[in-house]
Amino acid sequence: MSVIVAKRTGTDPGRTSQHRVWSRLIEALGSRGWILLVLFLVLLVAASIVPDVFAPHDHETQNLRARLLAPGESSPDGLHLLGTDSLGRDLFSRMVIGTRLTMFIAVTATLIGAAIGVLFGLLGGYFGGRTDRLLMRLGEAQTAMPMFLVAILLLSLLGPSVGILLVVLPCLVWPIFARVVRAEALRLREETFIEASVATGCSTSTILGRHLLPNVAPRILVLCVVEIGHVMLSEAGLSFLGVGVQPPDTTWGLLISEGRPLLAVAWWLTILPGVLLGITVLVLNLLGRYWESRSGAAG
Amino acid sequence: MGMQTTTETTPPSQRPRRGGLRRWLRDLRPASDRLVAGGSLSGLLLRRLRDGVIVLLLVVTVIFFLAHVVGNPALVFAPVDATDEHIAELHRQFGLDRPVAERYWEYLVGLAQLDFGESTWQQRPAIDAVKEALPSTIYLTVVGLGAAAVLGVVPGIVAGARARKPFDKTSNLLSVAALSVPNFWLGLLLILVLGVQLGWLPTSGRFETASIVMPALTLGIVHGGRIFQLVRSATFEEMSKPYVTVARSKGLTEWNILRRHVVRNTGVTTATIVGWEYVRMWGGAVFAIEYVFAWPGVGLLTIDAAHRQDFFVLQAAVIIAGAFVIFSNLLIDMGYQFIDRRIAAS
Repeated sequence: MSVIVAKRTGTDPGRTSQHRVWSRLIEALGSRGWILLVLFLVLLVAASIVPDVFAPHDHETQNLRARLLAPGESSPDGLHLLGTDSLGRDLFSRMVIGTRLTMFIAVTATLIGAAIGVLFGLLGGYFGGRTDRLLMRLGEAQTAMPMFLVAILLLSLLGPSVGILLVVLPCLVWPIFARVVRAEALRLREETFIEASVATGCSTSTILGRHLLPNVAPRILVLCVVEIGHVMLSEAGLSFLGVGVQPPDTTWGLLISEGRPLLAVAWWLTILPGVLLGITVLVLNLLGRYWESRSGAAG
Repeated sequence: MGMQTTTETTPPSQRPRRGGLRRWLRDLRPASDRLVAGGSLSGLLLRRLRDGVIVLLLVVTVIFFLAHVVGNPALVFAPVDATDEHIAELHRQFGLDRPVAERYWEYLVGLAQLDFGESTWQQRPAIDAVKEALPSTIYLTVVGLGAAAVLGVVPGIVAGARARKPFDKTSNLLSVAALSVPNFWLGLLLILVLGVQLGWLPTSGRFETASIVMPALTLGIVHGGRIFQLVRSATFEEMSKPYVTVARSKGLTEWNILRRHVVRNTGVTTATIVGWEYVRMWGGAVFAIEYVFAWPGVGLLTIDAAHRQDFFVLQAAVIIAGAFVIFSNLLIDMGYQFIDRRIAAS
């Protein structure tokens, strides 16, 4: 840290006053910016609970006279903010409808993966020994496997469906949770309060659930936020390849896939759902990093 | 020392030594101390190989049980209007009425002899189809890794050395954005801009030298983002070490400090980061990108096979790609030993 302080107080010739105003603006946004990010996520959650409030049109109504309208064009039904697809369905409304399943799969799969990872991580980190090494090795070796291909194989064997996605996707994320929780548990088991709990005769489940878990919970929460984004990308990838969510269900990944054949004719069908997905994952990533840096600075 | 949990009463070194499985389980070490305390080079490589084979075996077993116990292979081959007798006949023909254990053993022996079954879609051994596709994927991943290294390493060093300056902030945000957008979508965006709108580059297939540019660039952007972040933090950490302050007080310019000290000291870390990224690449991105650009590699083959329900090609692709990743992991490990003699010496 001292180096940075020295650099800041040292002469910095290239800076004009205009530049300073600009960077101050960015900094002000930086310290309060997370409110905007949270607001965005709240909107998404609201859109997945009550999509009708947000969708200007019915997402299933077809209108062949209003096919492939560019963003901003209007049909007799009204303005199509983000254009229409090859059947004349309103893209914005379809994206709003797709929010629910996209969020549901990402959040549920992450929570399942987190539960498995946290359980394994706590047990492994607290007890150590053989089970620990075996579990950690499994997770580590798994990250060195082409798991995406394995996922494609499993989905095509079992038939693509939301249920199977909720089995396959947690398999991709549990090792990350296990690794982080294990490291925390390893560190915490040396602390005095754990020693005290052992001395006062707490049962192992009490120590794990009441003493260790609350202490790793903040890390798990931050990790969940980031991993929801990663799971979203995996689901979108699998749906894009045709082995994930199947029509008539809709997710953002599926919308990109459906727009792909028309890329040269109607770019918005492919690009805009991807922009929404990218922004969502970016928001989750930035929030995760922000919270992590704050907790890191505090601890 | 001072461990209060009941399971840790005897240190590992004093536990009774036994051979076989127990011994194998014991020397499963946590990843972090493997390179440092892992013993000899050949021991390390052997352990890596063994772990890889075990994971591969695990995957193969899961595939077998899903296909043969949960699913019924006869149903896949039977026509849609097949009667129950017809399916039962197929069942007998495939030998599915024999015990599971027997079939599992036969299956493993078959795999060991590189018999992955016949492709129902291409009418030839599944392994031939995968063999044909594998070099394309390797070519793409190597060029893609080159692009990722160029996009990630140099900006990463600059950003880490000039932390919290505008360049650092901008490139940092860009790298998070690169990690956040779906890789296949990025590919489609490049097709739209560079292929459809500007007409500079071919958009699909592998027909000319320029065909590789867009898929490799997409891979490079996605993986370059992560390389950037890791290299940046490694450089930043190195720059806050006391010897850098000493070098500054000696009057060395920032450029010389960076070139003579910092980059050399972070060199092994950087190589590690890039090496890991290669393994990561095989974890997902490259396959979706192959599909987007119709690049004739393992990913495109797998997805086509999935759409055609060609189980044998799928299975061969997963197993061979898995074996390749394990093998390249070994090579990367050996590379580190070669670069950093300190690892080999300890």
